Parts: sequence; C-alpha cells; structure tokens
Amino acid sequence: MRKRSRTVALTILGAAAFTVAGCREEQVEAQAFPDLASCQAAAAQGGLFTAAECDQAFAEAAALHVEAAPRYDSLEVCEEQHGAGNCGSEAQQAGGSGSIFMPLLAGYLIGSMLGRATAGQAAAQPMYRNAQGGYTNAARTTNFGSNTGRATVSGQQFTRPAATAGQAPMSRATAASRGGFGSTGSSPARSSGG
Amino acid sequence: MGGSAPLPGQPPRRPFLWFSGALRPMSGVMQKIALPVRPDLAAKAKDVGFTFANMHGEPYWDESSAYRFTLAQIEQDIEDPATQLHAMTREAVAAIVGSERLMARLGIPPEHFDLIADSWARNEPEIYGRMDLAYGGSGPAKLLEYNADTPTSLYESAAFQWQWLEDQIAAGHLPEGADQFNGIHEALVERFRDLFAPDTDIHFTAIPGNPEDYATVESMAWAAREAGMGAHYSDLDKIGASEGGQFLDAEGRVIGTLFKLYPWEDLLADDYARHIAGSGCLFLEPAWKAVVSNKGLLPVLWQMFPGHPNLLPAFFADDVADALVSGGRTAPDVARAFDMAAATLRRGHVVKPLFSREGAGISIVEAGEVSESSPAGDYDRHPRIVQAYHALPEFDGFRPVIGAWIAGHDCVGMGLREDRSRITQDLSRFKPHFIAD
Repeated sequence: MRKRSRTVALTILGAAAFTVAGCREEQVEAQAFPDLASCQAAAAQGGLFTAAECDQAFAEAAALHVEAAPRYDSLEVCEEQHGAGNCGSEAQQAGGSGSIFMPLLAGYLIGSMLGRATAGQAAAQPMYRNAQGGYTNAARTTNFGSNTGRATVSGQQFTRPAATAGQAPMSRATAASRGGFGSTGSSPARSSGG
Repeated sequence: MGGSAPLPGQPPRRPFLWFSGALRPMSGVMQKIALPVRPDLAAKAKDVGFTFANMHGEPYWDESSAYRFTLAQIEQDIEDPATQLHAMTREAVAAIVGSERLMARLGIPPEHFDLIADSWARNEPEIYGRMDLAYGGSGPAKLLEYNADTPTSLYESAAFQWQWLEDQIAAGHLPEGADQFNGIHEALVERFRDLFAPDTDIHFTAIPGNPEDYATVESMAWAAREAGMGAHYSDLDKIGASEGGQFLDAEGRVIGTLFKLYPWEDLLADDYARHIAGSGCLFLEPAWKAVVSNKGLLPVLWQMFPGHPNLLPAFFADDVADALVSGGRTAPDVARAFDMAAATLRRGHVVKPLFSREGAGISIVEAGEVSESSPAGDYDRHPRIVQAYHALPEFDGFRPVIGAWIAGHDCVGMGLREDRSRITQDLSRFKPHFIAD
C-alpha cells in the first residue's frame, strides 16, 4: 500500500499573498447619502437605488443605529471620538439611558446587495462623524472622507456590526487592545517550534 | 507536478545503485545512500518559497544522501509504535490533568490548571505532533520526546521531501516502486474535514519574521483550505482583544478557531493569557498539549508504562538527583522504578529542562561526568527531568533522529534530521528518506 500522499501543497506564498488567497474580498457597488432626501433625489434621476430601496435602506440603517452605534458613558468621550456637537444621549436617539451617549447619524452607506444580504451582513450601514472631520462606520473600522458619493468597496464594509460580546467568528469588533500575545517567546530569531 | 518527468531524448534511466552487487543491501538494515543532488535544486527551492533551505550559511535541506528503509521497518518499527505511543500519551494526559500535583510538577502555573483540565474535558481536538525517535534500523525505536504543541519542519517533511522523491524517481535515481512514509498532507486535510464543518473560518498565527515557523503554519493552512475551511493569517503580535474579551485578527474580525505556532507555556505567560478561558476561541493545538509538549510527560509515561519497549526510563530530576549523584534516597513513590533503572541511568543519562526546544539546555551525563551539553538559552529557569541515555545511530559521522508525524491520533509520516553532535540542535540538517524493499 502506498505510504505517501497523492498531492501536497508545495508552494509557500508568504503572509501577504496568503491572506489575499485566503479571503479574496467580494467587491460591492455602494453609495453613500447624508440623508433620505438625497437618496430619493438620486433615485428620481435613475441612480443605483429606487425610491423604495431608499426607504428600506434608511429603515435598516436606523435600526442598526439603535442596535449597534458606538456607545460611551459620557458626552465628553463621545465628542472626543466624533467631534463637538455630533453626539446625543441614548435616551434621545434610541429610547435608552440618559447617561449613555451615542454619535448622531450622519449618513448611510448602502450596498448593491440590498434585499439579498447574507447572514452576518447588513446592506445599509449607519455612518457617523469621526474626530478628523470625516466619517466612520458603527464598528469604527473604516474612515470615509465623505458621506456622499458612489464607489466600489469591499464586501467587508457591510458586515453587520455587533453591539455586544459573544459575537460570531468573523464578525467585526473593535479591539480594546492589541499585542498581548508574543512577548514571552519573541526573542529575535528564535523559532517557536521545535 | 514539478515538471520533472524525463524529456524525450534524455538518456535512458540508469539502474539504481543497489542493484549492483557491491551495494546490495543487507535486509533489515537502515541505510544512508549517496544520491545525485537535483541539478535545479536551488531554483526549485526558490520557486516554491523554501527560503530556509540554507540556514546560518549551512545547507539545512541536504539531499546529497538519503536514508533508506524497508516497508517492514516503517510499519512495524515506526508507524505502529508511534501510533501506540500517542494513545499512551492520551492516557497520560488524562492522569496528569486529573492531578494538581502532577500539573504542578510539569510546571503549569496553578491559575491555568482549570484551563488545561477543561480543554481536555471538552475533548478539544489535537491536529498534529512530531515524536522524536531514536532508531537505527533494528530493535525498538525509543521515544526521546514528543513535540506535540509547536512542531516545525512540517513543510520540509510533507511537501519538499515528497517532491524530492517524485523527482528522483522521474530522474531514474530511485526505482519506480520507491515510496516514502509521507501521508502527512492528506492526513491533515482529512483531520480538518473530520473536525470542522465546511467553510469554518480558521485563523493561523505565528511570531512574525521567522520563515521556518511560517512555512509550517502555511503548510497547515493549505491543508485546512483543501479541507474546505476558510484560512486566514495574522501575525501573533497583531492579535487584539475586544472589550468583550474575544480575540480579533489584524482586521478586527473575531477569531473563532486559532491555530497558533507558539508554545502554550509562552501563551500562558503572556498578558493575554487572562482572556483565553473567556474568549470562546478554540485553540489548536489545544491547551492540554501543554502537558504533552513537556518533558515532564516522559517520567509520567515511564511511571504508567514501565519497561515499555519504546520508552526510555525517565524521572523527575528532583525525585532521583540525590540517589543518582550521591547514592542518597529517591522520592518514595519512584523508589522501585528507580532501582530497576539505576544501573542504566548511572551508565548514562540525559538531563533536560521541562520546556526546551531545538535541543537547548540539555546535558548528557555518563558515568557521573557531563560528557556533552548544549547552551541553555532561556530554558534554564525550568525544572528538569532525567532520561536514560540512548545513543543515536551514526551514519558517516552524522546522527539521525526520526521525526514521526502524528495527525489526529495516528502516525502518518516521517522526516529525519541529522546532526554531528549527539544533541540534535537547530543547526541540524533535514534528510529525505525513501522506502524500498
């Protein structure tokens, strides 16, 4: 009986190529709008989305805003992250606590998979101001220069942001810290293997 | 694959070497046989990204000769015993994680006893490991140690060695019927397929900047991908923790399953150790491998399976040091076992730190004198074990160690490294092997 494999994986691609090969990102046509009115106006001129889709997308993004907007325990911290005047209490925006603060909705990013988003995706994402004068998403993993315009973006932009811990693998979360692994065994040039 | 089939117009294949009378092998003898180096070896290594074929200015991959085994040697002396040793190891793990006293002796920090015991109780699966065996072609192979947590040289063993065999057969330097004990890649694919649902996302990580470690990680990731998994790589130091205590990759994605080429004893000493239990992340290898890739396994195995033909007598140094050095007493629970092995140990034994890799911090003591030792590196802080000295076989001034690869619960392949020194260290050379009866 043959003792060896019929095939093997012969090529070492390297970390950069490996990552690309591992998760080639789906590309998505997307458009950002500052408000519902501008979406409707674009629809009237034969844009990427119809007026009905604008309504649907705005409802979804508003729900996601309630569910997954960044939350802060003081107005001061919220404004540090999102700029002065760009935050309000949870009570005002989402019917919650008066001592929790969230950024105000500042736009909507709508993906072309609207109506056929897969599990873990949300085709309409709320946008918020960031502290640099631009815009960011709920998970704060991406910054945008503007809340208006059309582009082809990575499908990852439409991963549903999660508000609490216990999230499914591959969902997006914001790191509270990094670099907590590797300090013990990372003396230069030493292999971790044996 | 490899484009190495003979082209029309090439000279006919030469009969391979040991058909000629002078080199006819004696049956049952493991041999080291000189073979032509592939003329395009350097280009081949470069093409496939095998950047560490040469290391520290020395060849690491050395195909100027190869080891030859018979099928009976492979199956009866390596494969079956290694599979059995893995089963024995699992029995030893059950005993160790059930005993806080033993976990302490194996250098596990008390705050992590539960993590390790729980990972065993949850039956978290093992993927792979490599047993280092002393074997010279006859008699029982002896387990020197079990690299069950972060074994490297997977790429060389599973892939580059395989291509070497195919090329040497195609070039007529080895007979058509030659084989190799190397089902490693297929067995790993099978293992992932058995354990995980299709499209499960698995992250892979290693310390950045070490091509050797990286090659092992990528080989593993290829197997996972071939099994239908999503495979994602992050450097170890880029891993983050969310506010909820989940681990995140460099792009902020939650890590559900993490293959880490980084030893448990180091993971447990890192800052993020506090997040592991609550992270919901399945680690590969699982936490219970901390008591396997640990020289403390060896005395536990010897205590449980005394006299097993594939084990060498082994003891915790603290238990037997007085008896061994000054004729004092051993710890009471090992007195009987020590008496049986005392003469062997006095003739020669090896002192090893609990955690040591690539032969660091090891001393050979013969007739009371240290006859050979390797630099301790940073392993000096660890307690030690003593193991009866078993000389490695010698071929042309080199001493090979057999690396028997375990995938899941079975031995599935083999890679050899040889060193001039009696202690196999990180300058050892990888040697290909083949099977021909």
